[in-house]
Amino acid sequence: MHQDDEIPLKLNRRSLRRLLTYALAYPGLLKRAAVLLVLGTVGQVMGPVLVKIFLDDYVTQSHYPPGELLILAFAYAALYGLSAWAGYWQAMRLNEIAFSVVRSLRAQVFSTVIRKPLAYFDHRPTGKLVSRITNDTEAIKDLFLHVIATFAQGIVLMLAIFIAMAILDPRLMLVCLVIVPVMFAVMLTYQRLSAPRYHKARSILSQINATMSESIQGMRIIQLMNQQRRFHQEFVRTSQSHFAARMTNLKLDAMLLRPMPDLLRTLTLAGVLFYFGSQSMTGVVEVGVIYAFINYLSRITEPIMQMTQRLSMLQQAVVAGERVFDILDEGAEHHVSANQQISKGLVEFRDVGFSYDGEHQVLRNINFSVGPGEFYAIVGHTGSGKSTLMSLLMRFYSPQSGAILLDGWQLHEIDQNSLRNQVGVVLQDPFITTETVRDNICLGLDMSDEQIIEAAKQAQIHEFVMGLPKAYETPMDERGANFSTGQRQLLSLARTLAHKPRILILDEATANIDSHTEAVIQSALMQLKGKTSIIAIAHRLSTITAADQILVLHQGEITQRGTHQALLAQEGLYRNMYLLQQRSA
Amino acid sequence: MDIFLKLGWYFREQWRRYLLAGLLLIAVDVLELSIPWLVGRLIDEVLAQSLTTQSLLTYVVAVLVLGVLIYIMRFLWRLFLFSASFQLAERLRQQVYKHLTLMAPGFYNKHRTGDLMARATNEVTAVEMTAGEGVLSGLDGVVTGVLVLAVMMVFISWELTLAALLPFPVMAWFFYVIGTRLHDGFRDAQERFSDLNDKVQESVSGIRMTKAFGREVREDADFMQVADRAAEANMRVAATDSLYDPAIFITVGVSFLVSIAMGAWLIEQGSITLGQLTSFTMYLGFLIWPMFAYGWLLNLVERGSAAYARISALLDAQSPVNDEGVLSTAVNVDIDWTVTEFEYPGAGNPALKNIHLQAAQGEMLGIVGATGAGKTTLISLLLRYYDHDAATVLIGNQSVKNYTLECLRSMIAVVPQDAFLFTATIAQNIALGRPDASIEEIRAVARLASVEQDILRFPAGYDTLVGERGVTLSGGQKQRIAIARALLLDAPILVLDDALSAVDVSTERNILQHLKQARLGRTTIILCHRLSAVEDADQIVVLSHGEIKERGTHLQLLQDKGWYSRMYDYQKLEQAVASGR
Repeated sequence: MHQDDEIPLKLNRRSLRRLLTYALAYPGLLKRAAVLLVLGTVGQVMGPVLVKIFLDDYVTQSHYPPGELLILAFAYAALYGLSAWAGYWQAMRLNEIAFSVVRSLRAQVFSTVIRKPLAYFDHRPTGKLVSRITNDTEAIKDLFLHVIATFAQGIVLMLAIFIAMAILDPRLMLVCLVIVPVMFAVMLTYQRLSAPRYHKARSILSQINATMSESIQGMRIIQLMNQQRRFHQEFVRTSQSHFAARMTNLKLDAMLLRPMPDLLRTLTLAGVLFYFGSQSMTGVVEVGVIYAFINYLSRITEPIMQMTQRLSMLQQAVVAGERVFDILDEGAEHHVSANQQISKGLVEFRDVGFSYDGEHQVLRNINFSVGPGEFYAIVGHTGSGKSTLMSLLMRFYSPQSGAILLDGWQLHEIDQNSLRNQVGVVLQDPFITTETVRDNICLGLDMSDEQIIEAAKQAQIHEFVMGLPKAYETPMDERGANFSTGQRQLLSLARTLAHKPRILILDEATANIDSHTEAVIQSALMQLKGKTSIIAIAHRLSTITAADQILVLHQGEITQRGTHQALLAQEGLYRNMYLLQQRSA
Repeated sequence: MDIFLKLGWYFREQWRRYLLAGLLLIAVDVLELSIPWLVGRLIDEVLAQSLTTQSLLTYVVAVLVLGVLIYIMRFLWRLFLFSASFQLAERLRQQVYKHLTLMAPGFYNKHRTGDLMARATNEVTAVEMTAGEGVLSGLDGVVTGVLVLAVMMVFISWELTLAALLPFPVMAWFFYVIGTRLHDGFRDAQERFSDLNDKVQESVSGIRMTKAFGREVREDADFMQVADRAAEANMRVAATDSLYDPAIFITVGVSFLVSIAMGAWLIEQGSITLGQLTSFTMYLGFLIWPMFAYGWLLNLVERGSAAYARISALLDAQSPVNDEGVLSTAVNVDIDWTVTEFEYPGAGNPALKNIHLQAAQGEMLGIVGATGAGKTTLISLLLRYYDHDAATVLIGNQSVKNYTLECLRSMIAVVPQDAFLFTATIAQNIALGRPDASIEEIRAVARLASVEQDILRFPAGYDTLVGERGVTLSGGQKQRIAIARALLLDAPILVLDDALSAVDVSTERNILQHLKQARLGRTTIILCHRLSAVEDADQIVVLSHGEIKERGTHLQLLQDKGWYSRMYDYQKLEQAVASGR
């Protein structure tokens, strides 16, 4: 959070260039925007020229031929209409480019992020990743929407104005030209001075907000310790330093940002008046020219000021771009072309060992083999390594030593689709989307109604679904609130069964459900026995009494194995666990 | 517009700044308007060929001086006006903070942190905008508008002014409509953006699911749908925003056309000069800002009023408990709970019933029971988090209501269930209640809480930064630091509210041993789930569904063969399983 606010003072040109290349993907839009921009600007700049012609050729001469004047008025109206039209569509084209760029960038970051290996997410706070995908791309949007538009419009307008001035009176144009370098100097000075100061004010503000939020959460403690006064005083101090920092910025803004370009313009105006006045004393001058110059002068300052204000936005966008590119460049999970298919459902763990940090061994010497159609259960206390074993089986992580084989193939040799279709998972916390019941079963894959109903019947939820107002087309409420926990679990089971997996993994799937649902799931599983290999990580031992083999895990090692009856008969961890659960029931 | 009345107290308080800013704004407007007038005069003299070097210089110098004066005054009014509005923002933040420190815990159960934060951040900014930019656009908009109109009418031509003004109301209307649409669109865009945030948040947290089911492609599609909706909302805002320029363009263009045409006719009639016409067109440019200002003002006021109403509601919120007690010392700290029935506000069923419980000074009291049995509620009543007629708690024979809150809190040191650490060093966190404590005192209590060894293992020892931005501590370390923090207070009553749950059994034993020695003659109340923590207590009560079901010493309770003894056996077995036996 804190580090995200850091804005370096130097612009990373490489990132900027890379960001800009995204716009090049839309050459048509760019060309149209450029043409419209030039059209609109010419229209804008031509207005005063027409007025000048009117003043010098007609008004000062007191010569008013209706026909010519009508044409002039018509041209004037047409010009204004044209530049309003062109200005609007030019802005719209630029908007379109901005949003297209952000769209493709967002899609790119998002799909890169979700394809990263799971370990990538372990050490990255969710909030930061979310911020990369949303806030940073939003900042980049501002680059295209505001910064580039402002600079393009501003620069083209200034060029056009000076060209028009040069045509009207080259020497007077030179007088006005003095303002440009001065303004740019002011602009850069402002930027140089304000960037660090704004940053300071912003970081004090985020400190204020952090303190506020922390105090709200810890208010009970503050009150218990009678420290309200001290915390309040500290808050007031931070708040005062925020005020002081903002005042510094205010002074800087008030000195250089708004009033300064106006001052420069007035000074230039004085120069123009002087030149014009002295010319008039020696020769003939055209009043229309002075009119046009005054008019142009009033338009020059605004774009420069806007560009100045956009500079900080530019910097933020480039920093955001850098962070986004970092994610993109790190590269997604690469699957080597694996093409082995799963057909039998044989699962083997050969001497598997694993550690998250390379220091603490979470799993050690895990050896077992589940034959096709067999039902294996893994039990153990919290922290015994059950979930890690599961994560390895689902390929979230790779074991450091030993190997996991399905049908005799190493996990990485197996085709991704085969792996996903043939290995079904039911997790403890069923994942429900806010779509229809049907969508939740087929998960966006092509599936016939028969397949869906068959799966629902297997999971024993068909009757419940038929009782819903729209049966399979009933939408799920937020997080599946119209289903009970048990029903959500059954739905999740139906979803897994719909894919007809060879291997079924149940990760504490019955931990949160009532005993009735548990019995229902039990009987569903019994039907699968012999057809599908099942590995169940279980919390409730009553759910695995029918397992062919139970593995008892303690501190990452298999300490006991056998059937329920055999394990109960011996003194040991399994028996104690069983007794414990009997008593707590 | 009544937001300006509601903020009247602040305007009155800061009247000097606002008055000066107002006067300077008016002066700037007047001076600015005199430049076109000078230009017009100059042009007329040129045309009349009456211009001399002397008068030319006067004009030029006058423009220069005006420019500099305007610059200085503009600098100054910004300083006065915005310093006032900035200060208001800080004042409101400080008031909100102070008010929050006065609210009893019951208040925080009703208000979510996010909601309170929104008032202290975005809504304060909205009010600040009203008191700064709002005042500016209201005042300056009116002054500029009136002045420009007056000058155009009086010094140039009222007929020409009226004609040229015809398109301007249309522009003001455009501005208002665009501004409103922009505001609505902006809100919509923000909502869509937060949808986008939610979506990404959901995807990132559900990443295991996505991978387990191979849903990446589907996730991409879902994401793009949400992202497109966000982009469309943004696009609408941008499209609306792009309307500003054409609106200005067309109205100003029409106005220029009308004034030049009619101006030419008036020159022909001899009622105005060409110079006046030039000044006139310059004045027209000044009228754009007031039109914009009105539209802006309406939006600012709308936002500011809503924000200020919500901040005021927060500042007017009453604490569930009033600090009206007067006693500042207690004769002794014998505690007596008499609760006929206590129910949390809006809960519907009692949290405690028929409680009669005493703890004499110096006693060690153990309170055990299942989650939700009412253990913490007993402590909440002791700490007077709630006032209730059917629940009295006496300390030293006086109701807790009779003590000042400060006195009551200073008698009791509590280690709450969630050990909350602030973003500060470990030493500062331990010394939270006594910021002046010496490092020796801090180390002494850290040793009592068996946490010193852990602390010394950190790179900066006691100066290690913890909390949101500091190092991450384990639950057990946090709990022990919270215990040390409470011990430093050396209060006559110490409450450990499930404060040893994340500490392993042998460390728990050590800490309790230390406590026994260090707290001789003072009261200690231990609430816990693990019974090993209360084995040595003088008195143990078992709570179930808000009522006391069993009471006695450890040995007595074991003999009673009730919940306590069953739980004791169960936990022994649990201990065995946890250690792999």
